[in-house]
This record gives sequence, C-alpha cells and structure tokens, in this order.
Amino acid sequence: MDLDKIIQKIDSLSPVSITGNRLMEIISNPDSSLTEIVDVIKYDQAMTANLLRICNSAYYGLRTKVESIKQAVAYLGLNTIANAVMMGHFSKNLTAAQGGYDLNEGELWKYSVSSALIAQSLAEKRHLDNIPCLFTSALLKDIGKVILGTHIKDAFKKIILSVQNDGLTFLEAEKKILGIDHAELGAMVVEKWRFSPEMVSIIRNHHDPLKILIGDDLSISIIYLADTICMMVGIGGGADGLAYRYYQEVMDRLNFTDVDLQKTIADFWEKSKAVEELINMSGGR
Amino acid sequence: MDLVVGVGDMKVSNNPEAVIVTYALGSCIGLAIYDPFVKVGGVLHYMLPESSLDPVKAGKNPFMFGDTGIPLLFKETYKYGAVKNRLKVMVLGGAQILDQGGLFNIGNRNHTVLRKMFWKNNITIDFEEVGGTVNRTLKLEVKTGEALMKISGNELRKIPWI
Repeated sequence: MDLDKIIQKIDSLSPVSITGNRLMEIISNPDSSLTEIVDVIKYDQAMTANLLRICNSAYYGLRTKVESIKQAVAYLGLNTIANAVMMGHFSKNLTAAQGGYDLNEGELWKYSVSSALIAQSLAEKRHLDNIPCLFTSALLKDIGKVILGTHIKDAFKKIILSVQNDGLTFLEAEKKILGIDHAELGAMVVEKWRFSPEMVSIIRNHHDPLKILIGDDLSISIIYLADTICMMVGIGGGADGLAYRYYQEVMDRLNFTDVDLQKTIADFWEKSKAVEELINMSGGR
Repeated sequence: MDLVVGVGDMKVSNNPEAVIVTYALGSCIGLAIYDPFVKVGGVLHYMLPESSLDPVKAGKNPFMFGDTGIPLLFKETYKYGAVKNRLKVMVLGGAQILDQGGLFNIGNRNHTVLRKMFWKNNITIDFEEVGGTVNRTLKLEVKTGEALMKISGNELRKIPWI
C-alpha cells in the first residue's frame, strides 16, 4: 500500500477556515478568554446561524428560543457555545458514509458527537477547566477514519484476519496491513490544521491512553472512557467493532467503578432522543 | 415494513408484513423470540444487566435492563397467543472490548443475567452467538420467522433457528 497516497488524501478534507483557525487558537490558549469566540463568530453570518440552530436543539433544553449570540452565551455559558461552534464547523468532514468501516451516512458523526458529549459530561463532573479542547479532541479523534475508509475496504479481509488470528486490535491491524492507523492519520490531519500539540497527542493516542498518562491531566483518560462507552453501547458501531484494548488503569485513575460505568450508560440513554436531534441539527440534516 | 427496535427498546408483532430489526448490538443483548404456530415475534435490545442499578429508570423504561425487559418480552408475545414451549429463542450480542475483565465486562454480565433467568424458567436457546469484539445487527421476518444476522463489515447471513 502506498503510504504517501494515503497521506496525500489529507488535503481532500474540507480545510479549516480562517475563522476556524482563530477559534482553535482561542480554545487552545489558556491566556485567551472564551469571550473572544463571540467576537470572532459574530462577523460570520453562516457560523452564527448554525450556532443558533444548534443552541436551540432540544438537547440544551432552553425554554425560549435564543436569537442572538449574546443570548445564547447568557443561557448556555461559554463552554457550551464553544462546543456548539466546533460541532457546526467540523461536521462537514464527518457526516459522510464510511464504507470501509461499514458506517452509513451520519453514523460517524453520531459516534463523534456522542463521545464528545459523554466526555464533556464526565469532565464537568470532575471540574476540568479545558472543556472546549477536550470536547473538540473527542469530536475529531476519528477524523483519520475519513481518510483511511476507502483503503480499509480494499484490505478488510486481511485486517480482520489479523484481528481474529493474531490477537491484534483493529488499530494495530490497520498499521500492520496499511502502514498507518486512523489515530496516527487523525493526528496528522489536526496537526496540519494547527491544533495544539496537546490535542494532536490526544488524537494520536486515543486508543493508547497509557502512553500519555502524565501528571494530573485527566483529558486522555476521559476521552478514552467516553469512547469505550460508545463502543459498548454500539453507537455508530462499525466494522472495527469493539476490537480495541481495554485498560483498567484508566478506570482506576478516574476512580471510575463498574456502577459508575453503568450509570453513565443509563444517563446517556435517557438523553438519547435529544442527542439524536442535536446530531441531526449539527450535522445539517 | 421495518419495525426498528432501538437501544433499550422492545417490539412485538404478528403483522405478516413486519420485519423487526435491531442495529449494532455491542455489549447489549438482542433477544428474539418467535412462535411459528401463531406467527408472532418479538425482539428486545437491552443495555444493562440489572434494574437494581436504578429502579426509577427501570420503572420508566424496563427495556433498558435484562432482568426487567426479558419477562416483558415473553408476556407481550403471550398476548398474541404465543405459548412458552413453542417459542423459538435466539440470543445475540454481549460483545466486549479486548481484555475487558470482571465487573466492567458488561457484555458478559448482560449474557449471564439472561442465562440465569432462562435456567430458572426452563427456557432453552435455539441459537446463540454472543461475545467477541463485533457489532451485530438482527432482522426477524414475522411472517416466516426467518432471521438474519449481520456482523458489521460482513454480509447478512441466515440464522438456523426455526
């Protein structure tokens, strides 16, 4: 398989706009205030309209319809506004069907939004202060699948045999057969889009969290856990299935028990109708 | 006509036009039952083993849990004339992430709760494919009881259970 050809395909994704780049700088820079987001998007009519549509979805449970960014910020807070902007901005790259992974149109987007929402909820409970970065990393962690999808289709039999016979994870089998895996490819994409080194590292290691479990930062652990939950519940369940490695160390680090796991699944299920609506709205359907 | 069973959901029908479908069973269990004599079928898709986790949620939606959903699936088919000892029974799902052990292995626990209930109630399983690391989709044609399974990434295949 020609690795260069795969990597070249990164350029086929919809590029991040200048506004998008500015937003990424704001959420990645601890010295920036999220209020700057409002200053950036208020001049972009399409982005504003998209943001208001998302904020008015049932998921956020607003009693009155918000009609301005100022109102949206007042009702939902800056973290949620930042997350909604990111959903609106990045959905176009994640909504298409991904044949190689056996995902129909909208399924990868559903997976991405669901894991980002679960990660956000887990992070808020632990009072993490970098919610938009964490949300965006969770949202885009599988962007590499968009590039690798067609190649997976051609090599699927070999990949699945490696999973079944050699005990490899789907990710390890991608690397063995295609020379690169979707996490590495995703990291290359967001590096090109000038995401922060921390976010690039999270996306590169989202299936291998132990590699970057350093200090007190819980971001990678939370994103890994949210991904685990989505896989278990079959959200956007594709050809790779649950063939990834489970790390009890991550659960221990988060003091997350099996009861917590089940409660998180049950809580997310309760919101599933509203989540579905948010997914459709943010995905432009 | 597709009758879609969502996650934490159940559908029972004797409409000969209906095909009961449930998608992407990961660690969840898809339980299908069918009475070939009165031609009624039902599918339950539950996510968690035991309702003691959250009795309030179980009250609102018993199909979320194995121990509350399973009896309701059987009872609902009885309303359509199904008889317990005629019912064909199929169990799919219960997958797990590699090396997911102990209490965190919800797929295995979902399966265990079903086995215990079936053992107590003398219910035998006609077809079962549980565990592994794959997503499974299930289709049940009410008119004939023909069932199809699709493992994501693979073709649909007929299940020998009737």
